Amino acid sequence: MAGMELRRVGGMSADTLFRRITGTGLLILFVVLAGLIVAFVGYSNPLWTIQSPIEFLTSSTWSTGTIDESGQTVDALYGALGALFGTAATSLIAVLFAAPIGILAAIFLVEFAPPRIAAPLTFIVELIAAIPSVVFGLWAAGDLSNRLRDTIEWWIASSFGRFLPFLSEDPESPAADSVFRAGFLLAIMILPMVVAVSREFIRSVPISLREGYIGMGATKWEVIRDVILPTARIGLIGGVLLALGRAIGETIAVTMVIGNAEGVPSSLFQPGQTVASKIASNIGEASGEIAIGAMAALGLSLFLLTTVISLVVRVLVRRFAVTGGRV
Amino acid sequence: MSTPVASIAKLLTQPTSGERARQRINWGMRVIVGVAAFLAILPLIALILFVILKAAPYLVPTFFFNNPLDKEPGVLNAIVGSLQLSGLTVLISGPIGIAGGVYLSEFASPRVVAIGETVIDVMLGVPSIVAGVFAYLILVPVLGFSGWAAVAALSILTLPIMMRSTQEVLRLVPQAIREASLALGVPVWKTALFVSVRTALPGILTGVILAFSRALGETAPLLMTARGTNAENWLDFSTTMNAMPIVIYQYSNAASDLLIGQAWATALILMVIALTINVLVRGRTVNSRTA
Repeated sequence: MAGMELRRVGGMSADTLFRRITGTGLLILFVVLAGLIVAFVGYSNPLWTIQSPIEFLTSSTWSTGTIDESGQTVDALYGALGALFGTAATSLIAVLFAAPIGILAAIFLVEFAPPRIAAPLTFIVELIAAIPSVVFGLWAAGDLSNRLRDTIEWWIASSFGRFLPFLSEDPESPAADSVFRAGFLLAIMILPMVVAVSREFIRSVPISLREGYIGMGATKWEVIRDVILPTARIGLIGGVLLALGRAIGETIAVTMVIGNAEGVPSSLFQPGQTVASKIASNIGEASGEIAIGAMAALGLSLFLLTTVISLVVRVLVRRFAVTGGRV
Repeated sequence: MSTPVASIAKLLTQPTSGERARQRINWGMRVIVGVAAFLAILPLIALILFVILKAAPYLVPTFFFNNPLDKEPGVLNAIVGSLQLSGLTVLISGPIGIAGGVYLSEFASPRVVAIGETVIDVMLGVPSIVAGVFAYLILVPVLGFSGWAAVAALSILTLPIMMRSTQEVLRLVPQAIREASLALGVPVWKTALFVSVRTALPGILTGVILAFSRALGETAPLLMTARGTNAENWLDFSTTMNAMPIVIYQYSNAASDLLIGQAWATALILMVIALTINVLVRGRTVNSRTA
């Protein structure tokens, strides 16, 4: 047969050659990941000659120091607590809003909506994910941010804010930017991801489980509460974590509405910064090994955070796949 | 959480007086999830309407054909720059990603597949700013602010997307087709290329187009690499290039209303391109799935 002949290219069969070429593609991805790790660890290294990683994580002072008579930089201290706080606060606010609404919307799409409505709705929600984050940022800075300030933020500040200092705001002169508004914008941006992942896992619950329960006289909602949500639980958690990872890394939209203020803000309705927004707004000014090292350390902490989340999600989803949803 | 058996027993023994309450809760929840779904699409509608409203006065035909320093405002160089940067990005990450996806699907041992998929997951989670900082630290000192550095940063982001989508669509190709080809004596590489990849080609191309669209909207990595410029740059990747996201970000902070208006107009152009690509690609996928 003509196809059986082994064509040899450079002493190697065509099959082996093809295998090596495609394998190189995968190898390049491995090399890029290794490169990222080596670069961020390497470039952040000089920072640890003047301070410890503990100081980096626990101090909220970010100072490039002063230059003394001998030309040496003194009193430099790079504490990322303010940025880390902002990242935690914005992404948790985002999840707080996006997780319940996203999961409920996914339940509607899978369980309640007739196909005629479900298909276009799903499509529209997916389109949100296609909008570039800089457009979200522009919209938030020009419109959404002010609306939030005058509605939800005002309401929380004038009710809970009276006795909870971290939710307080001067109603006469609210801040121009706030951590809360950045978090709410992130909620909108990660919502499609929560809906899409939740939808997949809710759909994967075996139909026989639903039928059995409905056959016993359960209402639709009882099926959802007692069968679907418990069965899909791990997948739903995975989806929310994935969205959390996205929120942690989001940069430009947050930079445009959070105000980029140093330190830990006294209230969620005050301007702040996130790790990503700090990198975006400060990296241009960073010069010298140590200042660049501080930037690399910020990048490294983002990279580690998102990597841990990706790995946790992977383990969760694999557990879901192994048990076939029946936990 | 109660076990199904306990729940069923509970249902059977429930008094009929509770029946109406259960139905009422059912209707209440139906309304609540419906409202949640409405809330989920509300921002998209608000955003699109607002951007159109703000952008409309500035979207005159000359806006597409002028450059920033011309007498009339324009963003031609940013549109041209964005298309070049995203285009070269998929030209680089596309073949590498497709190759890796083919390897994972057709050749790799289960162990390598597990490692490869984990690395893809991790790379998919890498924030765009991290890729930007990487290019800024490694490439900008050597190449300067340049299109090349931007393409490198964007490729880091699109490579795992390409690899994942290629592997996923190849997984959908029935094993029987491959076996039929191999049984006829077709070599493994020809089977992979002309049977598996050929069958999955529409899906693979969808992945390429979506990666292009993703690269088009990235902002943070470009600010640290391509930097933006007022000049029109055709294919000179060794120097600064402009891009639509850069224009939107920089003009949004500007003091003049004219520049802010141009930011909105550019945002509308970028959004329309991104949405059109997604509508076309996803609409096609949905059709072919139902057909």
